Amino acid sequence: MRNKTRIVKDKLAQGIMLTITVLAILLVAVIAVGLYLKSKPVLEESSLWTLLFSSEWRPMKGAFGFLPFIMGTVWVTLLSILIALPISLLTAIYLTEYAQPMVRKFVFPALDILAALPSVIYGVWGVLVIVPFISRHLAPHFVDFSTGYTVLAAGIVLGVMVIPLLVSLFIEIFSAVPTDLREASLALGATRWQTAKKVVLRKTVSGIIASTVLAVSRALGETIAVLMVCGCVIGIPKGVLDACYPIPALIANNYGEMLSMPFYESALMFAALILFVIVLLFNLFSRIILYRLEKSEM
Amino acid sequence: MSIEIKNLNVHIKENHILKNVNLTLPEKQITCVIGPSGCGKSTLLRTLNRLIDSTEGVRLEGEVLVDGQDIISSGAEITELRRKIGLVSQRPCPLPMSIFDNVAYGCRINKMFKKRRQLIYHVQKNLKAVGLLDEIKGRMRTPAARLSIGQQQRLCLARSLAVRPEYILADEATSALDPISSKTVEDLFVSLKDQYSIIMVTHTLRQALRIADNVVFMYLGQVIETGSANQVFNHPQQELTQKYLSGAFS
Repeated sequence: MRNKTRIVKDKLAQGIMLTITVLAILLVAVIAVGLYLKSKPVLEESSLWTLLFSSEWRPMKGAFGFLPFIMGTVWVTLLSILIALPISLLTAIYLTEYAQPMVRKFVFPALDILAALPSVIYGVWGVLVIVPFISRHLAPHFVDFSTGYTVLAAGIVLGVMVIPLLVSLFIEIFSAVPTDLREASLALGATRWQTAKKVVLRKTVSGIIASTVLAVSRALGETIAVLMVCGCVIGIPKGVLDACYPIPALIANNYGEMLSMPFYESALMFAALILFVIVLLFNLFSRIILYRLEKSEM
Repeated sequence: MSIEIKNLNVHIKENHILKNVNLTLPEKQITCVIGPSGCGKSTLLRTLNRLIDSTEGVRLEGEVLVDGQDIISSGAEITELRRKIGLVSQRPCPLPMSIFDNVAYGCRINKMFKKRRQLIYHVQKNLKAVGLLDEIKGRMRTPAARLSIGQQQRLCLARSLAVRPEYILADEATSALDPISSKTVEDLFVSLKDQYSIIMVTHTLRQALRIADNVVFMYLGQVIETGSANQVFNHPQQELTQKYLSGAFS
């Protein structure tokens, strides 16, 4: 009798967990369908090509060209990863391959705190430090005038935000590399740097890619910090010292306001759909790369 | 060219692992280090190529003279020392790259060859020395992880030989292998002893009996007895050695 109860409980637990898992996955599909349905009016009004590749943004006239926002998102995300990736990699290599245990003991909790800071704090830091620095010291070397609210400011703030996440992930990955493998390299006369570069990084390529994908996905959707320093000027940025207007900032700034305009809400939902699809395609693409990589290593 | 160990003491945190070890490891012979688990055999081996440095809280005292140069002193050039002393570890550990690149790895980092042709020839020569060349023909560019465990261990030996070491340290190098692979690797060591000084940690007395020229018996971090294989196995001087050889403890 007692045995029977145990089996029933086991089956019940399995059933509940399966339901919850399916619901969680379904939620993504529900969001996608919801966004599509909400975007339908603007999709019926303008062609997909015009919406994606036109730069004309005049909501009053019903012209919704999302190219400046898409490009703003791409610029800021790319720049942030370009900044964060090398710094995070080198930090993680230092902490796992070189640092004394005492150093690690202090740095690991500090990283956790940095990762847990609310994004608005990074935004404020950007406004108080990065924006004035770009405006007063950096931009004058290249352009006549800049407010400092630029792609560069947004990239730096976002990059700094992503660093703790990336470093934590990289440390996890590098720590999982067997000591034997490092010793095999060191025993041949390799330095620690050669070992890190040629063995540890090589062994963890797929992990590095997967972590970067996670970081890029996070950077793509980051809103508040970016919104505070990007300048929110509609236009395709031509360089890092131009202002930009990424998609999350567009939605956060405008949703709830001016929704009386025809198609405006639908256009903002379409913006969300674009973001959703970008993240989805990016993840899918990197999964394929990872799959091929793992297959070639086996 | 020999290794001379004088008053070597190794502490790891609070533990005194090696106690006042004095040894001379003769050249171009196989020296087997035997003793029960935890007696400090592997620590001794890891001290000889200073891989022990990566252990947290380690402290070394005494002298280890390799070709007359003390490797414990702070000025010792560790990377060159490690090139000179090859290591074959307990479990085969192929690097995450192709079979060819595994053997070429050490040559590349030590910048041994200027021409690629020379490197290819050298890699093939070393794969041949461990009897792998014919077995992996046409698969040089495939990942080393695809080899069988026995083949991987021979690859690791080829990788060590490729950097032209003078000594080879083998830390229970056959314990993870099946009997046939184990025999192949064992025979390899015997065939290599004319060219290299081999120091082998082994758990298997029968293996030491088969291949050792010299034997070092360790117990609780101390060298209890050392001498030629014949002397230690057939006429042990110390009571502890006699007990160990008779199987009173392992």
